[in-house]
Amino acid sequence: MSTDHGGDDHGHHLPAVEDWPRGFGEASWWPFITALGAGGIYLGAALFIVSGGSDSTIDPMIAPLATAASVGAFLFGLYGWVYHAFVTEFWSSDADEKTASALRWGMIAFLGSELATFGAVFTYYFFIRAGTWPPGELPHLTGSLVIINTAILVASSLTLHWAHVAIRNDSRRKFVLGLLSTLVLGLVFIGGQVYEYYEFIVHTQFTVTSGLFGSAFYGLTGLHGLHVSLGGVLLAVVTIRALAGQYSAERHVSISTVSMYWHFVDVVWIFLVVVLYLGGSLGA
Amino acid sequence: MQITGQLTLTVLMGLFLVIIAAWLARIEDWRSYTPLGSGGAAGESGYVSQEKPTGISRWLTTVDHKDIGMLYGAYGVLAFVVGGLMIMVMRVELLDPGMTLISNSFYNSLLTSHGITMLFLFGTPIIAAFANYLVPLLIGADDMAFPRINAIAFWLLPPGALLIWAGFFPLGDIIPAQTAWTLYTPLSTGAGGGNQANAGVDLMILGLHLTGVSATMGSINFIATIITERAEEVTWANLDIFSWTILTQSGLILFAFPLLGSALLMLLLDRNLGTSFFAIEAGGTMLWQHLFWFFGHPEVYILVLPPMGIVSYVLPRFAGRRLFGFKFVVYSTLAIGVLSFGVWAHHMFATGMDPRLRASFMAVSMAIAIPSAVKTFNWITTLWNGKVRLTTPMLFCVGFVSNFILGGVTGVFLASIPVDLVLHDTYYVVGHFHYVVMGAIAFAGFAGLYYWFPMFTGRMYQRRLGKIHFWTWMIGSNITFLAMIVLGYGGMPRRYATYLPKFATFHQLATLGALLMFVGGLVWTYNFVVSWLEGPRVQDGDPWNLRDDGMYTNEWQWFQDRQETAITDGGDEDVVADGGTEE
Repeated sequence: MSTDHGGDDHGHHLPAVEDWPRGFGEASWWPFITALGAGGIYLGAALFIVSGGSDSTIDPMIAPLATAASVGAFLFGLYGWVYHAFVTEFWSSDADEKTASALRWGMIAFLGSELATFGAVFTYYFFIRAGTWPPGELPHLTGSLVIINTAILVASSLTLHWAHVAIRNDSRRKFVLGLLSTLVLGLVFIGGQVYEYYEFIVHTQFTVTSGLFGSAFYGLTGLHGLHVSLGGVLLAVVTIRALAGQYSAERHVSISTVSMYWHFVDVVWIFLVVVLYLGGSLGA
Repeated sequence: MQITGQLTLTVLMGLFLVIIAAWLARIEDWRSYTPLGSGGAAGESGYVSQEKPTGISRWLTTVDHKDIGMLYGAYGVLAFVVGGLMIMVMRVELLDPGMTLISNSFYNSLLTSHGITMLFLFGTPIIAAFANYLVPLLIGADDMAFPRINAIAFWLLPPGALLIWAGFFPLGDIIPAQTAWTLYTPLSTGAGGGNQANAGVDLMILGLHLTGVSATMGSINFIATIITERAEEVTWANLDIFSWTILTQSGLILFAFPLLGSALLMLLLDRNLGTSFFAIEAGGTMLWQHLFWFFGHPEVYILVLPPMGIVSYVLPRFAGRRLFGFKFVVYSTLAIGVLSFGVWAHHMFATGMDPRLRASFMAVSMAIAIPSAVKTFNWITTLWNGKVRLTTPMLFCVGFVSNFILGGVTGVFLASIPVDLVLHDTYYVVGHFHYVVMGAIAFAGFAGLYYWFPMFTGRMYQRRLGKIHFWTWMIGSNITFLAMIVLGYGGMPRRYATYLPKFATFHQLATLGALLMFVGGLVWTYNFVVSWLEGPRVQDGDPWNLRDDGMYTNEWQWFQDRQETAITDGGDEDVVADGGTEE
């Protein structure tokens, strides 16, 4: 099936030929459902805040239920979206250079916005780092855990690049192997971060409310952890699609964009380790 | 007294909703509004109304850039009316020095919401409306690069608005935020337990974050669209000026809004989870101001560059000459985009920051006057010896240039540290930026609305009413904002609900101007509603006779093709819906 409906050289490409509702070229329920879910998540957060007070008359179950329902709607919307826009009709949809380049530029622009997202929290850290140091008692930062975790994340970037090279050479076995190992390494990294949090919170009593460095540490590692988790989801999606037989040497745009994202998150981590872990313990 | 104010606002809002309901009820076939809305590009035929479902689901599911543009437009105009009614209540309150109509705290709430509504719910969306509708047509693209992301970016806005305005709804003990749009810490962290500790502020922060996510998604989409979706004949060398400004604006959004997003979340965590990002001993009062203005100043250019693009695009059509110094208008746009990230601390000259840093920010701030002046002189030179036709959109363009000069020149004085220390936080500042945001940005927005009204609706507005609208606004805005400038020279501090009796005359003048604009606003609403319903249908694809001067452009060509297609097809509904889905 082609999305070209023009029948002449000036054919108009309709964006949503394979979608729900069926049978229309420019209609899709997925953005609306996804937005409803996303808006609901914010509403759920608002409910948590409003019903958090001791004299609140709001049933304490409403906030978690509303949030859970919204997360469900959000994920359902994303699933339908990805499925209809990219997965179904994968082999017959347009694979022209224009579409691929739009997707790549979209990812580059998104990563640009991520610089600003991380930038604000790093700015806070630099603000307090430039002041009296240490601002209080610091936990032990530079243990073997962070070194191992860093090595794992760097290794996952390498395996992902290896997988990317493999699919460009149409070597499917190496490709799937590379994706799987990247996913596993990513999960191990997240596990390591959870373990570190557990150690700090339970054994060192170093929590998010432990003063200035606590805010910086949990703010930065938390934001990064969220990004790794999102990267894990993206990797899982492309891995499942790879296992289902999608992608070839000519068709691997989402491998490129997911790689860009994953490498970016990796670079942010290295910067974070240098300034937050090493820079924090220096002179402390 | 607070009751009176809330009652007034409720009655006004109620009236407004009744008008909308009445309008919706009057449109007999609103379900099938398709004059020109359905997809298609030049030279294509056969798919008139079959690309979309009918009824309300057509609007909820649409991924067509033109439909989404119309949605953005409706949203922006609605927010503009809400923000405008808020300021009318405030201006009436300011008729006399004391606290009469509304309480001081309700005044603070209106002040906060007026600013946030106009900047985040009107300014950014109305620009997105023009950009969505026009950019793909101007660059010859089928649609935006990511049509579904385009749709979700819009649908995130209504929940955002609900959260931002949540305090005004009767929701238990939630009160509207009284932080002003700048949300300065430490008060906004809830420190001291004043009324800024109320959950209304949390809801507003959540809403702001959501609208920021929406703006960022939109900007990513515009960047990808303009870079990759241009038709072959549209090169960087002949890309139109409006798309250039949208590209630059999107670049600014890309770095400004996510930074604000992180800062807002940090504030939210400080308020609710006991973190200490903006505690006095951590970031202190300065960190928030740095982060906020690193977003806040580019935000000004996010709002002003595309309107400048509209003026640069529309003004030459009615001067019968091509834009003078096109290249330099593009370069100055890019220059403003780059410089805008290096001027933020001029909002903080009075904070006692390092004087060396302050001086460098003064230098960069003043440097912005250069590209701004380049644009202004190019607009004026375009008019020089031109065949000027003073249609309503042209009047708004000329009004834009005039008001922008006043807003810009008053800004140069504020960029100078010694002058700023005297005028900081006075009505002078309010007058200065309202000359820009209302006198210039809103004027350009209306220039665009009038200019493309025939294309958006297929009908023509009433020209006489359009001119009445312009003149009430031109005179009204200059009375109001000039009075504010004078008040600022007199030392009237901004943001106060009450004032010393000696300021009464100029406050009353400012209110008079505001009332004049209110009347103009009513004329505009009447004109647009009635013309959309009953105005004369546009007969050809060149309602402005642009061909006579050789100034015809892509989007009108598309409009003409669309009209011709609609006539030859005769509304045939029997074509199998979008045959492409069946193998």
